[in-house]
Order: sequence, then structure tokens, then C-alpha cells
Amino acid sequence: MAIKFGGEFEIKRTPEEVYDFLTDPEKFGPLLPDFKGMSVQDPTHFTVKVNVGVSYIKGMAEVKMILAEANRPGRAKYTGQGSVPGGGANIVAGFDLAGANGGTKVTWAGEAQVFGKLASIAGGLLEPLGKKNVQKLIDALQAALTGTGAVAAAPAQAPPPDGDATKLAG
Amino acid sequence: MAEHDKSNGPKRWVGQRVPRKEEGRLLRGQGKFIDDIKLREMLYLAFVRSPYAHARIMNVNTAAAEALPGVAAVLTGREVESLTSPFIEIGPDQCQKIADYPMAGSKARFQGEPVAAVVAESPRLAEDAAELVQVDYEPLPAVTDAEQAEKNESILHESAGTNVVWRGVFEYGEVEKAFREAANVVEIDRLHFHRFSSTPLEPNVIIAQWDNKDGRLYYWCNNSFPSFAIQFLAPHLGIHIDQIRVQTFDIGGSFGIKITNYTQMSVCALASRKCGGRPIKWVETRTEHMLSSAHGNERTFLNTRVALDKNGVITAIDSRHIDDCGAYPRYEPLGCVIWSQVFPGVYRFRNAKIDFTQVVTNKCPVGPNRGYSRMQHLWFLERICDICAHELKIPADEMRLRNYIRPEEMPYTTPNGCVYDSGNYPKMLELAKKLIGWEEWKRKQAEARRDGRLIGIGIGTTLDSGTNNFGQSQIVNPYAPFSGNSQGANVKLDIYGEIVVAVGSCPQGQGHETTAAQIVADVLNVTPDLITVRTGFDTERNVHTGFSGTYASQFAVSGLSAVHGAAQKLKKEMQRLAAFSLNAKEDELEFGIGAQGPEVRVRGTERSMPYGGLANIVNVNSAVLPEELHEVTLNCRYIWRAPFKVPDKVKKYGNLTLTYASQLHIAVVEVDRDTCVPRILDYVAVDDCGTVINPPIVEGQVYGATAHGIGAALMEGCFYDEVGNMLTSTFSDYTPITAVNMPNVKFGDIQTPSPHSFNGAKGMGEGGAAPIHTLSAALQDALFDQGIIIDDSFNNGDRVFHLMQQAGKSKKPARVKPRAVPA
Repeated sequence: MAIKFGGEFEIKRTPEEVYDFLTDPEKFGPLLPDFKGMSVQDPTHFTVKVNVGVSYIKGMAEVKMILAEANRPGRAKYTGQGSVPGGGANIVAGFDLAGANGGTKVTWAGEAQVFGKLASIAGGLLEPLGKKNVQKLIDALQAALTGTGAVAAAPAQAPPPDGDATKLAG
Repeated sequence: MAEHDKSNGPKRWVGQRVPRKEEGRLLRGQGKFIDDIKLREMLYLAFVRSPYAHARIMNVNTAAAEALPGVAAVLTGREVESLTSPFIEIGPDQCQKIADYPMAGSKARFQGEPVAAVVAESPRLAEDAAELVQVDYEPLPAVTDAEQAEKNESILHESAGTNVVWRGVFEYGEVEKAFREAANVVEIDRLHFHRFSSTPLEPNVIIAQWDNKDGRLYYWCNNSFPSFAIQFLAPHLGIHIDQIRVQTFDIGGSFGIKITNYTQMSVCALASRKCGGRPIKWVETRTEHMLSSAHGNERTFLNTRVALDKNGVITAIDSRHIDDCGAYPRYEPLGCVIWSQVFPGVYRFRNAKIDFTQVVTNKCPVGPNRGYSRMQHLWFLERICDICAHELKIPADEMRLRNYIRPEEMPYTTPNGCVYDSGNYPKMLELAKKLIGWEEWKRKQAEARRDGRLIGIGIGTTLDSGTNNFGQSQIVNPYAPFSGNSQGANVKLDIYGEIVVAVGSCPQGQGHETTAAQIVADVLNVTPDLITVRTGFDTERNVHTGFSGTYASQFAVSGLSAVHGAAQKLKKEMQRLAAFSLNAKEDELEFGIGAQGPEVRVRGTERSMPYGGLANIVNVNSAVLPEELHEVTLNCRYIWRAPFKVPDKVKKYGNLTLTYASQLHIAVVEVDRDTCVPRILDYVAVDDCGTVINPPIVEGQVYGATAHGIGAALMEGCFYDEVGNMLTSTFSDYTPITAVNMPNVKFGDIQTPSPHSFNGAKGMGEGGAAPIHTLSAALQDALFDQGIIIDDSFNNGDRVFHLMQQAGKSKKPARVKPRAVPA
């Protein structure tokens, strides 16, 4: 089951600053939704632990991340493999950075391929939940880059409507 | 105890509505199922399963699981590979190169495939520990489509070098000549029979104990074809087949699906050995059952051409079929030939060419699901019949009457040499039309259509071929060591004169205790309640052959023929013994029930000998026996053998099945214009299984098969996404049919006795998937005017919605090409 996501935002930081932030595991890792901890193996390999849950199916996922592409300051791409008992997800997320309006335009796109119990049992629920979590990540990224804790730019995608997605996070 | 019939005259019990002997315990919750068995020092097993449909297994780390207190052992796929030989492969050539083990060692090939097993002191502990096993996978491209698999772009079994399991062309008559001479040719691009399964109330359950005291392997399980299972297990485990004892008891449904649980039987045995001979129990969860038990075959029918004469009589069929057997062939390749038991269905065409291919895909392996292999083909033929009828504007009932094999042609030899023993399809149609009120529904349909309602009336005629000739396996693999069919039974007078019958079947609700008792009651002229029938398979009863079990609609013929033979043998011995004891001639004796119970008496006299007296002489008072009666044991085993020959492997010709029960269903369906959900307005099921032994048992199986088929047609499907995640692994998603979804089914029957069985009965119970054919036909009738051809066997509201959305926007999947009518 594939969940595709993407969007763009602008931020008042230089592409180099944004790139350095994105490619620093210590800074990027904790932005992942429901982050619980991480270990860094080397500058391009790190493992994060995050809580995952759809309705009554809950657990801790270990996600092995690799900085697969690093072209400063234009592009960074992560690949990841997450596993939970009986399931897992393969993730690809790329960030293209370009100077714009005195800051940086960040264009992001990715895909999560979900396997196992999560996809089998909760297939219909995953897409809204996945999109919600991706939006959370982007919001957190923007907040961290502005250093304000607040979102500096409007999200490219509308946040999930009240109701289903929020409830699903349970 | 029931009141005995003390009349002197013989009473026939076959055909009577004898209450089921099993019902008392089963309906009171007193059946004996495997999960009811608790053994001392028993451990519990849980599987670690692959979340990926196709992935290399890079590493399996079991340390954390093994460290958990209460965990007795962990088995990995690689360990199993080192301890066993691959299971026997039935198919030839490339199939023989497939290494099939019960757990994946280096590569997982379907989501849910076991990669490790954890054994612990409790089921919950085993499940918790299973979650601690860490498996590193390297995902590979998954192939979930049979046509894609055939291209071999991603190969499941590298050792085989191809995803194609088997390919063969079945060609009979003069196909091209028939097409040249046809008045019309109908072309159908693609038809698809979907994957679904059975959902027995009781999932797979196994207890295994590899007893280190006697070196024997004991199984208490619900496998429904144990004689086949032990033939697979013994060479796989490297032990003598006699070391294995298998016992089955009550089974909560199988529908063929439990035939293939021998793979889990292997793992439980190895786990027991690893744990020092402690018994191991494994109880499958529902999701495990849906993911990895066994599904029914999915089949795609491509580039079909149908030749018809000017009257709409089908004269030839040419088609290419691709069968998807999931990740491992296992019981398959047999499915590559079993469909040809019903090669022409109920129709008279003599010219046909079917190019048949079977492939593996990254999906759950298939098993012999109810109606196995034949229902796909019969659905295909019924689709052809209806599509041609609609295209040529011939009413569905008329189309069938023009094409049915006629009753006067019975026994009918099909183009591929099968012999249909008996049947009267026009009479079944007439009865079904009467029961449903055909003319009235036609009138209502026309009226409703004027109001814009979508109502369709569909007919499905189908066959339930029973008692296989296993020689058909040699059509698939000339070196296969199987042919014919046989069943064993034992009937004895026990020490105090009780009549005890033992059979090698594994009933799952089919009433074998009752029907076997009816047969013996007729032979010995007693009442069925005086007869104890030991059902459930037990290797130690020594009544099984290599074909024993319960499958393929055969007990009424093969099982009861064995029971009948054993009862006759016993009767003969009793006559000899009674003649000696009563100082009479054998032909002066009669069997019946006297004041003291069942007895043998000298006709017209007061001289009689109760059964207990006869048993006493043989068992505990044998010094009185003269030497000429020493071979009398009153313990009579009989092996019945079906009168088959090995088919011609090259021509793919021969009789593949002994009996052909038939079913004809009619459904009236309305498709809601807003929701597109089909709703059954009326339903009739007419059955012909020859001489009926017990009417309520037959009716019960007809209702059950009808429910199964309606569920499959409108609700149930095993669906996967593009990477091989099964999307219907829970009942919430699979939506099995329940009583509330069932229409009121009107039942009717005719009886055309089989000349191939001792009492005219035919095997039945699978039902030929009649509802799937019938509901496809009814939906076709409802939607044809919208430009819709029903080209898939699964049609829930969602699918019908998409069909209606697409109507007229894409190429029509079927078309008629009129030809110049030959002079």
C-alpha cells in the first residue's frame, strides 16, 4: 500500500541553512511525529524510535534512516525502513531547495510503502493518518527553522479536517 | 434408546429422513474438537510471519525472544531447512525444482508466510515472544497478477527459473473446422474468476508430540485429508510413515482448505522434538487463517472464441486460461487437470481447445477450496452461455435447452473421455422455473423495467463431480505415482454383539455417522440407532487407504461403498456362524430384531441367535468353533476400489470422475440504481445427487453450498494491493456471508440414480458453485441493456458501481461476429 505525499513552503532562511538543518540527524530526527528517541550511527545513518498507532493497533516502530542524497544546498533525500511487529514501512522523502524571495522555497515529495498487519488491517485508515503525520513533520520543520516554535508560512496543504484523522490518532 | 422397529419385514433406511446421530453432541456444544484437548506439559506455538509479499530474509535474531522467561524454543526457517527435506512436488519438470519448506528460510514469498516459530508455556507468552523476533528483510518486487507473473520479470522460485508451474493444451474434436462452419462467432476478451476462500468456524488446529519414549510422532489435528498429509510428511521429516499416528475428531468445517495444513503439522512436530517431546499446540487465529491458510484458485480466461450454429447451439470453444496458485504449488498442479472432469460442463459441444497455464504469484498458496478447480471452469462456461445468449438475443432458458446434454444421451462420454453417469438438466430447469414462478417473474421484470428498475433473472447449471480418478495426476505429471481411488471401512460385531463401524473419513458436518449407519442398518436389517459409527481419521484403526479423508464430494460413493462392502462381508460371516450354531442352512436364515434385540433366526421357527451370542462364540468362547469356521472373525475390513483406468496422458483422455451430481439454480436480483448494491429477490436451488440417502443431510449441504456461493459472488474476496498486502485479512474486510444476508432459498430435487454406485447415490456437497454462476447471470440480465457484460465472478456494490460508471466508455469486452451461413 503506497501513500504519496508532497508540497512546498517558503522559509526566511538561506538554502544552505535549510540544507544543513535537514541533513543533521540530531536536528531532523526529533521532528518526526511521536518521536521517542534516536541513535546516530554516522552522519548519513541513524535510527529513530517513534510511537505508531492506528486505532487499537499501537506499538513502537524502529525506523532506520539513511541520508541517501546530499547535494548541498540543492537537494536532500532520505530513505528509511521502519518495522513494527508484523509490519513495516519503506519511506522515501526528498527535499528540493531553491532560493526565493530572499529565503528558500522547499519542495518536498515522498512515498511510504506500508507492509504487513498495518496495511492489511488498517489499510483504509492509513492514508489520512499518514498525511496528517507528514503535515505534522512539515509544520515542525518550519517551526524549527524559524526558531519561533510557530509556523512561519502557511502550509501548502490544508490541515486535516476536524474529525476522522484526529480521532484516528487515538 | 429409541424404540426399535420390531417388524419382521426388512425396512429400507436409505432415503429416510433419519435424524443425524451427530446432532445431539454437536448442537449441545459437546463435540470433541482439537482445541478441547489439553495434554500434560503442553506448550504453545506462535508463528512470526513475513509482512512482505516478496523479500529476502537477511537475518533472523531470536535472542530477545529466547531470553523471555517461559519461552521453550524458537525455530527459524533456516533451521527447518537444515532438519528436513523439501515437501514432495506433484508437478513435473520445473515444479520439481521448487524447494517448498513449511517456513521461509532465505526468502519470503507471500505476506503471512511463517519465517520463525516460538514455543512457550502459554499461547499469550508465545505471541509476545514472537513479537521480539527481529527479522531483517530486503524487499523484492512482488507479483500479484497472474498475467504479469507469466512474464517472469520477477521470479518467485529462482531454482525453477520461471513462475510457470504447468502448461498444457487440451484439444478435442475439430475446432478450426467448427469455427469455419459457424453461423456466429462470439469473442470475449477477458473473464476473471476471483480469489476467495472458506471461513470454517474452527480454524486450523494442531497438536503434535514427537514422543521420545517410542520415537513416534503423534498428531491430534483437523487436517481433512490425513492420508495425503502423512504421505507428504514422512519423507519430509525423514521418518517411516508408520511412525506417524494421526487422529482427527469433530472438525468445524474445512471445505478443502484444511487439506494443506500439513505444512504447519511439520513445524509443530519439529518444535516438539526440539522441546524434548513435549506436546505442542498451535491454534490459528482468524487473521492467520485469512492470510496464510489456503485460498481458492483465481483464474483468468483470455481471448475466448465461441462458435455457434444458426440456432445458437455452441459448436466449439477456443480459450486460454491462466490459473494463479499463489506462492507454492503444493496440492496444485492437480488443479491444472481437475477442471477437465467437467470439460464441457452440461453442454453438448464436441470441439474445444483450452490452453491452460498455471503460475505462482506472491499471494497465499491456494488449496482445494469447495468446488475446487471445476467451479472456475463451470463459471466460465456459464458466462459463455449467457453472453452468447444475450448477444444473439436468445432467452437464457431457451439457450440452455438448445445446448444441454440430453437425458437420453446418458451415460454421456465427454470429448475428453469422462463419463457422465446420469442426469436430466432440462427436467431440473423445468422444476426450478416452476418453483420460482418463472413466467410471473418475467412479467414483473418487464413491468419493473418500465419503471426504470434493474431486475435480472439468471440461471446457473453446474456439476459436482465426485470420486476422483487420481490417475488424472499423470496427465499433469506422467511420473506421478497415483491412479484410481479407494476407501476402507471396517464393520464388526464387538464382544457383546454391538455393531461398530469404522471409516477413514474426517467429517466436518456431512453426517457420515448417520449415513454409514443407514447403510449398515439396511444390510443387517436393524435400526440405525443400534449402530455405532467411529468417524474421524485414525491411522491405528487401519481402515484408511492412501486416498482416505473427506474431500471431493465422494463419501456417499467411495466411503459408503466401503461400508457397504464391509457390512456385506460381516453379514456373510454371521450367516455362516449362525448356520452352524442354529443347525440350519444359510438360506434358511433371516436377520431382524427380536425380543432381545438384533438376532439371526431360522425363518418360520422360534430358533434364533442374538448378535451377542454370535460375538461370544468368536471372541471369548472360541473352543466351540469347528475348524472350518476359524477364519470367521466378525471383524470385517473392506477396501472399495473405484473402477478406473489410467487416463491417456498424451491425449489427456479418460474417465476422471465416477459420479456427476448436478445443480440448477435460478436467482432474481435487483440492482439498486443509487447504491448499485445487488439484492436477491428470489432464489431457487434444485439438486440431483442421484439416490438420496438422507434428505435433510442433502438439503443442509445444498443450503450450505448456496450460502458459500452467494457469499463468494456478492461479498467475499481475497484482495491484495500492488505490493502484495492482503487487504481482506479480517472478517471486517472479508465480510463473510451470515444468516442475515441469506435469501429464503426454495429447494427442489430430482433423482437420477447413478449406475456407477452400488445404491445409485452420487457424491455431493460442493455444489459446483452454482450461486456464483447464477448471480453473474442474473446481474448480466439486469445490466445488459446498460451495455454491461459481467466479466468477473465477484460483484459487490462497489464493483457494480464501477461497471455502471464505465459502461459505454470503454471497449465492450464481448462481441458477436456473424459469419456467412454455410450452404
